[in-house]
Amino acid sequence: MSILDRSIVVSFEVNGKPVELITAPNRTLVEVLREDLGLTGVKQGCDDSNCGVCTVIMDGKAVKSCCVLIGQAEGTKITTIEGLEGENGLHPIQQAFIDHFAIQCGYCTPGMILSAKALLDENPNATEEDIREALHGNICRCTGYKKIVEAIEAARDEINAQA
Amino acid sequence: MKMKFEKYFRPATLDEALKLVQEYGADCKIVAGGTDVVIRLRSQMLKVQTIVDISAIPELKEVKVTEDKAVIGAALDLMTLSKLPELKNSQWAIIAECAGHVSSTQVRNRATMGGNNVNASPSADTTPGLLISDAVVNVIGPDGARDIAINEFFTGPGKTVLKQGEIVVSFTLPAQDDRCEAAYKKFSIRGDTDIAIVNVGVRLGLNEDGTVKKARVALGGVAPTSMRAVAVEEYLVGKTITEDVIEEAATIARDSIKPISDQRASAEYRKEMVYVYVKHMIREAVAKIG
Ligand SMILES: Cc1cc2nc3c(=O)[nH]c(=O)nc-3n(C[C@H](O)[C@H](O)[C@H](O)COP(=O)(O)OP(=O)(O)OC[C@H]3O[C@@H](n4cnc5c(N)ncnc54)[C@H](O)[C@@H]3O)c2cc1C
Ligand code: FES
Ligand code: FES
Repeated sequence: MSILDRSIVVSFEVNGKPVELITAPNRTLVEVLREDLGLTGVKQGCDDSNCGVCTVIMDGKAVKSCCVLIGQAEGTKITTIEGLEGENGLHPIQQAFIDHFAIQCGYCTPGMILSAKALLDENPNATEEDIREALHGNICRCTGYKKIVEAIEAARDEINAQA
Repeated sequence: MKMKFEKYFRPATLDEALKLVQEYGADCKIVAGGTDVVIRLRSQMLKVQTIVDISAIPELKEVKVTEDKAVIGAALDLMTLSKLPELKNSQWAIIAECAGHVSSTQVRNRATMGGNNVNASPSADTTPGLLISDAVVNVIGPDGARDIAINEFFTGPGKTVLKQGEIVVSFTLPAQDDRCEAAYKKFSIRGDTDIAIVNVGVRLGLNEDGTVKKARVALGGVAPTSMRAVAVEEYLVGKTITEDVIEEAATIARDSIKPISDQRASAEYRKEMVYVYVKHMIREAVAKIG
């Protein structure tokens, strides 16, 4: 990364595409993803690391992008909800959320799905307990979590059946 | 609110980081995981011009576990730490366990043990593990390296003995005796995602005859800093652990603290929870020794 007088140049990868931008350093990853890159599927809620709606996957790990400084994205690979859909349509976790009515207002959904994806990528056989643990940092005010957990279990089985 | 800082540095070596924190002095702040600092920068509780990000320095993420000690890099993320097989299967497994209790997956994926302790919250989850393991904080600064015993590290909420320009490099955990085990429990409303109302760590080492050779008891959330309950430790040494001894130890713990009442819990409630958890943790440590 090069450091200009008051700006920094940051290079990273978002949803498989390289990104290079010159920005003031006093910004968080969520701000840049939404404001500069138009990735508004990344939500901004509490902005203090509590609610989890800003969750993205960074180098394979779920993180809250509201507490990542933009400079800390240097050299990383980031996946947002916009990057999940493949050539054959929605990702199995996305489809399972629809099929299992795991969405009401939908505000928590991108973060939930990305936390679930990071979990299943690391542990394809995650149990209900593992799923609940992985979602601990994602708050949903609508659904009561049961449908969300069911959707992720169904997606897990679907992904494993395809493999 | 907008963060106010204007300069951001991401050094790749400790030497570079040391030069930067010296050059910018009181006007700069170190960031590791950022799970605490970024929030305070945005609420403008913290107003500095310069950020030195130490999260890209490989030597701060090293872990070495041998027979006679473990050295854990200050900037390793707590998720990795909580899952490290060589730590989980060692005499210092309690450190991995404590790291695993810090908040949620996303926070643990970023947060570090350096940040957790320099933060000096009286409810921090890794601090009791370090206190009952007699950990040493390895620090480097403008005047060179120095080692600080963890029980002398904290001076108040958010305050440590670190001097301007000093960086925590690692934590050293000395060898523990055979027949020595530790247990930790945090009490919070919403599980690990939440900051502890109180937390209790206990380490017990037993002699061949079953009497207590060494005792360490750490309490969090009940004083301006995490603390060792020395009166309880002294009481336990030499005793055979019976239900009466456990009862007495928990009573001493409860009577030795003067917690405050705040929005999380009343002082009385905290004392009661310490009493209950000290009992549980002594039993758990003994059960682990077997
Ligand atoms: C939603 C949420 C939940 C949380 N829950 C918990 C919880 O359950 N338990 C708990 O213990 N904590 C909790 N925390 C607090 C915080 O996440 C932890 O204290 C974390 O370990 C801080 O580490 P960090 O690397 O992110 O620190 P940072 O935010 O990067 O830094 C924290 C402080 O340490 C200093 N610092 C960091 N590393 C070094 C170093 N190597 N040398 C010198 N100074 C250094 C920084 O300058 C700063 O003052 C929570 C925070 C949030 C936002
Ligand atoms: S906006 Fe990041 S956790 Fe709420
Ligand atoms: S669906 Fe509304 S917050 Fe989760």
